Amino acid sequence: MRLPIHINEHSAEPLYHQIESQLRSLIMSGQLEENTLLPSNRELAQNLQCSLITIRRVYQDLEAEGLLRTKQGTGTFVAKVDVEAGARQRLEAVEAAVSAAVDAGASAGLGRAELESMLREELKRRKMT
Amino acid sequence: MTNRSEGNRVSTAVQNAKVTADRGTQPDVVGSVPAASFSGVLLNRSRFRLGPLDLELPAGYVTAIVGPNGCGKSSTFRLLLDQARPDAGEIMMLGEAVGKGTDDTELKRRIGYVPEEDDKLDGRLRGTAKADFVRQWYPGWDRNEFERMLRQFEVDPSLRLGKMSKGMRRKYELALAMAHGPELLLLDEPSSGLDPLAWRTMVDELHRYMDGGSRTIVMATHIIDEVKRLADYIAIMDSGRIIGMYEKDELLGSWHTFYLSSPEGASPGDVASAAAAMPGIVRVEEAGGGTCRVVTSRAWEAEQWCRQQGYLISGQKALELDDILDDLIRQKR
Repeated sequence: MRLPIHINEHSAEPLYHQIESQLRSLIMSGQLEENTLLPSNRELAQNLQCSLITIRRVYQDLEAEGLLRTKQGTGTFVAKVDVEAGARQRLEAVEAAVSAAVDAGASAGLGRAELESMLREELKRRKMT
Repeated sequence: MTNRSEGNRVSTAVQNAKVTADRGTQPDVVGSVPAASFSGVLLNRSRFRLGPLDLELPAGYVTAIVGPNGCGKSSTFRLLLDQARPDAGEIMMLGEAVGKGTDDTELKRRIGYVPEEDDKLDGRLRGTAKADFVRQWYPGWDRNEFERMLRQFEVDPSLRLGKMSKGMRRKYELALAMAHGPELLLLDEPSSGLDPLAWRTMVDELHRYMDGGSRTIVMATHIIDEVKRLADYIAIMDSGRIIGMYEKDELLGSWHTFYLSSPEGASPGDVASAAAAMPGIVRVEEAGGGTCRVVTSRAWEAEQWCRQQGYLISGQKALELDDILDDLIRQKR
């Protein structure tokens, strides 16, 4: 199986990070269903022309997150993922980060208008619409 | 890999260059026994000194040893094979001590070796005759596998070795070294003389070899694509010493060139001096058109730094391996 993962060689984002986030979203979005057998470490490393170490790291990280499970001698499978719970969890993480940013602003004596304009500036700088 | 000339680099190299990839110096193979290791190895010759050499070659991976001509790559192989004895230090291979004067037939059966130069003495032998001779020493010799490889490589074993083209001879020697399914494959510039098509077959065959279980390749090479396609780790050698052992993807991914535009009211000179504080900065130079060209060895952090500092990155690209080597060797000399 060829996973639809695309590597941008000219991005400064580390290779393991690129592969990990794309594989994570393939699983979280349900595009890769539960119990799907993933390519072996060597196979994926050759397909993506990266080193075995990088693939090991990706599989290990995603296994630790509960998205993959490895059966000794059989291979790496997609674990049971609660897609809604995943989305909820990510949303909660964003809410916590925003809340922390407001706390930091408050302790620096910034008002509502300043915080709002900072958020707008940041979005503008990253060209997010 | 060639040493590039300094060219017209405008500004001085910024020498607070911390090489991040040093993090990769210790391979993350904790607990597993290395396929081979050197500790405190020293080899003194009248015109050449190797070491002190401390190096662990991780089992189950492909490690490429790269470096300028005469840096000690081939001597490292000769030490592993007990063809040269060190003046000091310990060498271990596949869990056994090397060069202790004991019978190493069993140990040698577990490895395959392709030397840099093909043997000139057996030029009158036909390929089939040499294979018949060699296989007597290897109980694990797989005749089918040997013949399959010769077919893949399009080698005619009925030819005399001296009559084979350089490329065909090379492919023959590769098949010969792999036919007994060794645990450790030592390749000294395996692809010299191969045409591009044969080179691709070789890369496929080496991948296939690695699929065969817990196997290790250690290869010396000058070919950048070979490192990119095959290596998991890169050991960089210069003047008889290892100057670093790196995870390939990490090394290739963390060296980038950025083009920075000057913010309004700032000159490229201002940007150049500010960029000295960029993470992993290697050098800065003005590139014309109000931009600065910056090389960093910690691209991801540097990108975030630029964003925080409000510098606009108008272009960026990853450095090629030879450029990275050039910089690393220069830094450590």
